[in-house]
Amino acid sequence: MLKNELGVLEDGMRDLPEGWIVLLETSPEKVLDVSLAAMKILTDNNYSSIVLSASRPCSNLFSLYEKNKIDKGKIFILDCVCKTLDSSAADNANIKHLENASVLTEMAIELGKRMDSAKGKMFIFIDSITTLLIHNKSDVLARFVHSILTKMRMKNVSCLLVSMEGETNREVRAEIAQLCDKVINV
Amino acid sequence: MSETNFGKLANGKSAIMMELPAERYFEEAMKSVKSLLASEFEGVYISFQRPFRNISSMFGQNGIDVNKLVVIDVAAALVEANQEKDPRCVHISPEIDIDELVKAIYTSLKKLKSEKKFIFIDSLTTISLYKPLSETLRFSEFLMRTVKTEKNLTLIFNVAKDLSQKRFIKDIALQVDEVVNV
Repeated sequence: MLKNELGVLEDGMRDLPEGWIVLLETSPEKVLDVSLAAMKILTDNNYSSIVLSASRPCSNLFSLYEKNKIDKGKIFILDCVCKTLDSSAADNANIKHLENASVLTEMAIELGKRMDSAKGKMFIFIDSITTLLIHNKSDVLARFVHSILTKMRMKNVSCLLVSMEGETNREVRAEIAQLCDKVINV
Repeated sequence: MSETNFGKLANGKSAIMMELPAERYFEEAMKSVKSLLASEFEGVYISFQRPFRNISSMFGQNGIDVNKLVVIDVAAALVEANQEKDPRCVHISPEIDIDELVKAIYTSLKKLKSEKKFIFIDSLTTISLYKPLSETLRFSEFLMRTVKTEKNLTLIFNVAKDLSQKRFIKDIALQVDEVVNV
């Protein structure tokens, strides 16, 4: 990732309120690098993380984290991809597989459980709103996001929502952006 | 628009719609509240977007006196979360019955001491995610009627700019005294 883009991300992540919620908007070309950079910044700052992944399988994510020296021990993945390819995908202490990216109720239950047992600083990384919109109706997704963000605010859990600039339905984007403390464009 | 101007704008107006940029939505909403309180208003803040705990903390950090407000915590009710016990926070049941909400607003208005009062709806589009449009419209029409019969009571609807073209928002915009584009 270019130095000035990393600077924008680092600056954007500064001075956030406790239990911050941030919408991170970037281009499809940069989304992977930007996501990894954000994970690195936050885990290096003692955050543990739950990654809700609708875009990449967990094995790929853990391999990328390792390559980028991101502390895997701090990360739990809720994987919505693997089971669409292999129904026998197995869970372990750091991974829970969900059927697919449209099981929003199960996602909310799992996120709720993890938030309840959170110790120390935690953030939830949602990758991505754009992908979730492929699998869910826009109003249903907006309601899901409002619901989980409200629960996070009640528990002081932070959240980084990734969205592809120009690729996300304008109304859903506005509905979600208005719930956030900050929108960072990288 | 400066903070002071908004307080002046609210004087003598019964209903205002604020179109806010989604990227700075809560920040701009806080500015409006701060400005109203500085102009000797007190108000009922109906929060569909954020639970009381978060609002109270953010208002505190931004120098907004929560004691001049009553917050109806609809957000916590929408997700059936445990609600805060605080004298400035009013709870409603998770069913979000519009009649119950209206009753809560009436009761809360009576708790305010200032002559100048406001009702602040943080987001009409958020409630429409959970309730049928007919109920959302019934809610807004009821509020509109209420403020038109009361002296020194101003109603402020907030909506994100990118959502202001929704049909039901346009319908409501036609009925307010002023639409302010921030």
